[in-house]
Amino acid sequence: MITYQLTSMAIGVLLAAIILLLVRRDHLHGPYSLWWIGAAATVALLGFFPRLFDVLASKLGISYPPILAIVLGFSMLLVKILTMDLERSRQERLIRRLAQRLAMLEARTPEPNAADAAEHDPPPPASTAR
Amino acid sequence: MATLDPTVVLIPAYNEAATVGYIVARVRRLWRCPVVVIDDCSTDATVRIARLAGATVLPLTIQLGAWGAIQTGLRYALRQGYQIAVTLDADGQHDPEDIGALLRLLATDAADVAIGAFPERASRARRFAWSYFRWLTGLELEDITSGFRAYNPAAMIALASREASLLDYQDVGVLLILRRKGLRIVEAPVAMQPRAAGASRIFRSWWVVGKYMLQTSLLCIARVGFNPLPPAAD
Repeated sequence: MITYQLTSMAIGVLLAAIILLLVRRDHLHGPYSLWWIGAAATVALLGFFPRLFDVLASKLGISYPPILAIVLGFSMLLVKILTMDLERSRQERLIRRLAQRLAMLEARTPEPNAADAAEHDPPPPASTAR
Repeated sequence: MATLDPTVVLIPAYNEAATVGYIVARVRRLWRCPVVVIDDCSTDATVRIARLAGATVLPLTIQLGAWGAIQTGLRYALRQGYQIAVTLDADGQHDPEDIGALLRLLATDAADVAIGAFPERASRARRFAWSYFRWLTGLELEDITSGFRAYNPAAMIALASREASLLDYQDVGVLLILRRKGLRIVEAPVAMQPRAAGASRIFRSWWVVGKYMLQTSLLCIARVGFNPLPPAAD
């Protein structure tokens, strides 16, 4: 018969294994891989010792331990999402400035003979005629 | 009539093939100064026409919006050592002849930034938006969204900064940065031409207007207390 302990262990090990595999294959860039290895370790630990939350909850005066797991998990997700948006904003700034730099490098001045052409105004567009 | 300090005219353009050639040529003929067109990923002949009219073209590889394009121009102007940068819309709303009014304000050292204001052009909705933002920011300007401006080097440096790179429009956010740096902003009333082609990139639908108002309000509120009070006029 499958026990509660076994299910929890299976889930913990599976999640940790997937994360470690991704880190090992270099799919996660430096600082992110640190966060995720921490997450893998936590998931594995909780998988093996699901009673940890019961102990912790009683110490914190929470009468229904699973809610502690949910609240903590949710908070960590919020923190992670917040840092993701911070990182995205940083990248957006970088990308914009990079695009600007590229445009500056690609600046093309008109060919010398185009300057003569500019001496003769092109006809004004119909609606700006003044 | 020529200008004294090395001046460059920056024109952000997005699909303005109908008017950009005329504007570039007119600026060059009137002011004999280099014209830089910043192309915000146009899909029409804007780049070709601008080059043909004698402008230097800075082609953006990804669309950055009006302010991103202008900042590109300002960074370019600083690198090239220009002392004054004038920004102008490519759609023919701003008459290049009025550049003189802006340059005079900078030349007398009365201002770091001169803004060509068109208070009478505004629709009721736009007037409402302006007075709302005046109230929210304490800025004492008539025309908050005007893209017709002249900047001196101090203002160019302030606006070429990384801090200004996450702005989306050349209006309240830009003005707040200028004020925070203690730069003087002065308006010059100028005549407004009817928009020759195309429509405002902001005031075009209620959805976009709503998003803009909300985003800009947040920007103002987030900066409360950041800004020193404007120096008392003496």
